[in-house]
Amino acid sequence: MSTQKELAVIGGGPGGYVAAFLAADHGMDITLIEKDTNPGGVCLYRGCIPSKALLHVAKLVREAREAEHIGITFGKPVIDLDKLRTFKENVVNKMTGGLGQLSRQRKINYLRGTATFVNSNTVSIEKNDGTTEEMSFKNIIIATGSVPTRIPGISIDSPHVWDSTGALELKEIPENFLVIGGGYIGLELGSVYSALGSKVTVVEMTSGLLPGADGDMVKILEKSLYAAFQRIMLNTKVVALKEEKNGATVTIESDKGREELFFNKVLVSVGRRPVTQGLGLENTGVKINDRGFIIVDEKLQTADPSIYAIGDIVGNPMLAHKASAEGKVAVEAIRGHKVAFEPAAIPAVVFTDPELAWAGVTENEAKEKGLNYEVARFPWAASGRASTLGRNDGLTKLLFDKESQRIIGMGIVGVGAGDMIAEGVLAIEMAANAKDIAMSIHPHPTLSETVMEAAEVFFGESAHLYRPKRK
Amino acid sequence: MALEFKLPELGENIESADVTRVLIKIGEKVEQNQPIVEIETGKATVEVPSEVSGIVDSVKVRVGDKIKIGATLFTYSTAGATLKKAETPKSQKPEISQPAVKKESEPVITTKTQAPGKVEFRLPFLGEGIESGDVTKVLVKPGDNVEFNQSVIELETGKASVEVPSEVSGKVLEVKVQSGAKAAVGDVILIVMGSSSTPVKEVSKPAPALRVESQTKQASETQEERSKMFVPPVLSVTKAGMPDKIAPAAPSVRKFAREIGIDINEVSGSGPSGRISIDDVKLFAKNLNQKIRKEGGLTGGIGIVKETLPDFSKWGDTERTEMMNVRRKTAEHLSYAWSTIPHVTQFDKADITDLEELRKKYSKTVEQAGGKLTVTAILLKVIASALKKFPQFNSSVDMERKEVVYKKYYNIGVAVDTEKGLLVPVIKNVDKKNITELSADLAEISRKAKDKKLTIDDMQGGNFSISNLGGIGGTYFTPIVNSPEVAILGVSRGAMEPKFVNGGFVPRLMLPLSLSYDHRIIDGADAARFIRWVAEALENPFLLNLEG
Repeated sequence: MSTQKELAVIGGGPGGYVAAFLAADHGMDITLIEKDTNPGGVCLYRGCIPSKALLHVAKLVREAREAEHIGITFGKPVIDLDKLRTFKENVVNKMTGGLGQLSRQRKINYLRGTATFVNSNTVSIEKNDGTTEEMSFKNIIIATGSVPTRIPGISIDSPHVWDSTGALELKEIPENFLVIGGGYIGLELGSVYSALGSKVTVVEMTSGLLPGADGDMVKILEKSLYAAFQRIMLNTKVVALKEEKNGATVTIESDKGREELFFNKVLVSVGRRPVTQGLGLENTGVKINDRGFIIVDEKLQTADPSIYAIGDIVGNPMLAHKASAEGKVAVEAIRGHKVAFEPAAIPAVVFTDPELAWAGVTENEAKEKGLNYEVARFPWAASGRASTLGRNDGLTKLLFDKESQRIIGMGIVGVGAGDMIAEGVLAIEMAANAKDIAMSIHPHPTLSETVMEAAEVFFGESAHLYRPKRK
Repeated sequence: MALEFKLPELGENIESADVTRVLIKIGEKVEQNQPIVEIETGKATVEVPSEVSGIVDSVKVRVGDKIKIGATLFTYSTAGATLKKAETPKSQKPEISQPAVKKESEPVITTKTQAPGKVEFRLPFLGEGIESGDVTKVLVKPGDNVEFNQSVIELETGKASVEVPSEVSGKVLEVKVQSGAKAAVGDVILIVMGSSSTPVKEVSKPAPALRVESQTKQASETQEERSKMFVPPVLSVTKAGMPDKIAPAAPSVRKFAREIGIDINEVSGSGPSGRISIDDVKLFAKNLNQKIRKEGGLTGGIGIVKETLPDFSKWGDTERTEMMNVRRKTAEHLSYAWSTIPHVTQFDKADITDLEELRKKYSKTVEQAGGKLTVTAILLKVIASALKKFPQFNSSVDMERKEVVYKKYYNIGVAVDTEKGLLVPVIKNVDKKNITELSADLAEISRKAKDKKLTIDDMQGGNFSISNLGGIGGTYFTPIVNSPEVAILGVSRGAMEPKFVNGGFVPRLMLPLSLSYDHRIIDGADAARFIRWVAEALENPFLLNLEG
């Protein structure tokens, strides 16, 4: 066994590569272990990036279609699936290739393979070239991420059943497409296939789409989803799936009884689970909770002092930007700084059309926790910019602590919500109050004005929304 | 998920208790009403019965812990929960076998429960703040077979003595620690030849599903077993939601506060909506430092309100002079001692008629040796013996750590009246010197005190003080304990008194003694016994040889 190296990062996703890059920037000797050709992980190869490339296309198709309402009519879109797939693959290759280059520039030892712990400081690396190497490190960061969850009893092995990875491969455009699960992955991919021409049905077990998000915002999104999708079935679950030649017959069950429906393809998007299997954690002191997540403290250190864990593997929300932020904290902690992962807000974005985004406390949470809060809403019907876009289907809302008037949460539904939510994150992190936001000049005419106006609504003095404050 | 059993209400006004015994172990079955821990509440020692039944997953308290009502005593799982856990591997089966349908080129990687061949067992994480311990016992030797969970060493961690269970199984090849050695978390304790001969990782072509299942089952069972052994008490999963309270401070400010060790939640912000700036944190840190400096790290100042002095010149002429160093120190030190130590003074009288004759008889001899045979010199010897007999008088109280420090050396301070004021030089290792030597030491140190030649070293390290005012007069007085000592003996002037002996009064030389002591550590009866023993030793010097 060779001498102990400084730091290894297992998993090259947005948690792992950000941690590795930061550590390298501080002059640490880094080994990054990852199966794929380049860093990127699920986010770049099979998640955020390819899905957003396709959602952009979906938006294009929809806007072209809707242009007829303002007097411009395009022909019916002709979709060259191979070309579209190439576009998506080019985006992915460009981004991951760039990361590979950044990794080489930082002189990171990038090992393609899978790692298994032999003990707290040693991993055995099964390299993609078939060789195995055992290496020891002072510290190891686990960033192995998550994979799609399956539904017990429904075989994923059928070529007619996809998970998100399968759906992103863009093999074909099914005529009838079933999405199981009304979370953000299901709705985003449902939107893509709907725009490409599939008749999309969504089945959700709970009573609403996007469980967790505030109802008033989901309602606005639902309007366009109900228009785009063939059918949305809530309080409904899939109980059986029978494979057929050109698809599958799916049995669904709700309080109205059972129904058998045929689909050419079925997408299972019911959640993701952490990847701990095969890591050899039993050879370390790392502890796992009952849901399979690695237990870590505030500095992302596991129960085994030499091992840290970040990203999806340590718990929800399973988001790339949370993983990156945790990666930075873990590296700082390993460098001996007193740090903690303690964000005031982690933004979440659903890239549907319109987009839906929130940061900090949601209204649901505020109610649940019994916070003394006040909501200020600014509907986009009153926004000039939204009207010029023909997209008045939006809402900006701010949650304030009633006493200090400090902003504690923000929610936006509407086009571009994902980009606009960042202002909310900054405001929450900086502990801005309603006056600060109302007095910060926002450019006109933009959608960002809705944030300022919502803060003015809090004082009952929004110029474009007459809603006097009750005394 | 593991359920928690918390310390229930114990009665009125009882908020916390000290754990004196822990009666359950990880992995044990607990029944309702079975005692879990023994605790001392200040009022009584009680056994706390369980209100639940199940298998203990982790024990959250240790002997010596102070626990509050509502604190988690242990976590447990019920039979149902255990069953559920055991079922998990089944539901995961399709996932494990899934690679089988993937491309042929992708090898299936499966893990085994334990590495083959030599396995190192390292000292696992034992709890918050515990980084190392002293090995007090090694419970296995090379050649032994160890099993999962079998205790392999006994470790003294400063907090408690714990038996460390093995996390590996197999034949012990080498024991890397020995009794008396220090072991840190992560140190290799044992090298074991694993009982399994299968390789850790095997690359296989798609295997029959059944086999995969049995392997994973085995793996996850081990996992479960392992997780039962040590559940670190403080770790928690990063929550999806945000912490309940977020201080109104920018991330850079929160980071700064954490780096310099300030809890941002304690800082009050000067900005709008109570926003905390870097300057607020700095000011808070500065004030905190000043406060600590002012209090001298003391817990004192107990409810003492400073009174402002009146204008004395209203009533006549005054003159102000600067307080000299010694005076100032004495004032500060004695105020502290007086306000922190609950003082009691015990009085007694010693008949030193016979001793006085001996003293006179030998004073010449001692003088030749360079000393002066005084009552104080004799008392030094007597007190040293008394301290040995009553060790709590030779101790100090550590209220911060709730501990008593017993000293194994015998240094005694003697109050000396000097021009500069009261000084208390210390005679070291009194028990190892005879009275002649002590007389010489005492003469030497008194001279040094009067000539202002005392060094800091001469003034430090006392365990007990003697203040003899007999040269001036008086009967009794109440000396102040010279903190951190716990007792002081005040000696007044000996006087002839009539004593009733054998049916008639006889004149005897009686020496008044006043013993002030720290009631936190010394009880009245002990003090009475101590002072009586001292008096008797003076009355009958033979007692020193007999008992001292």
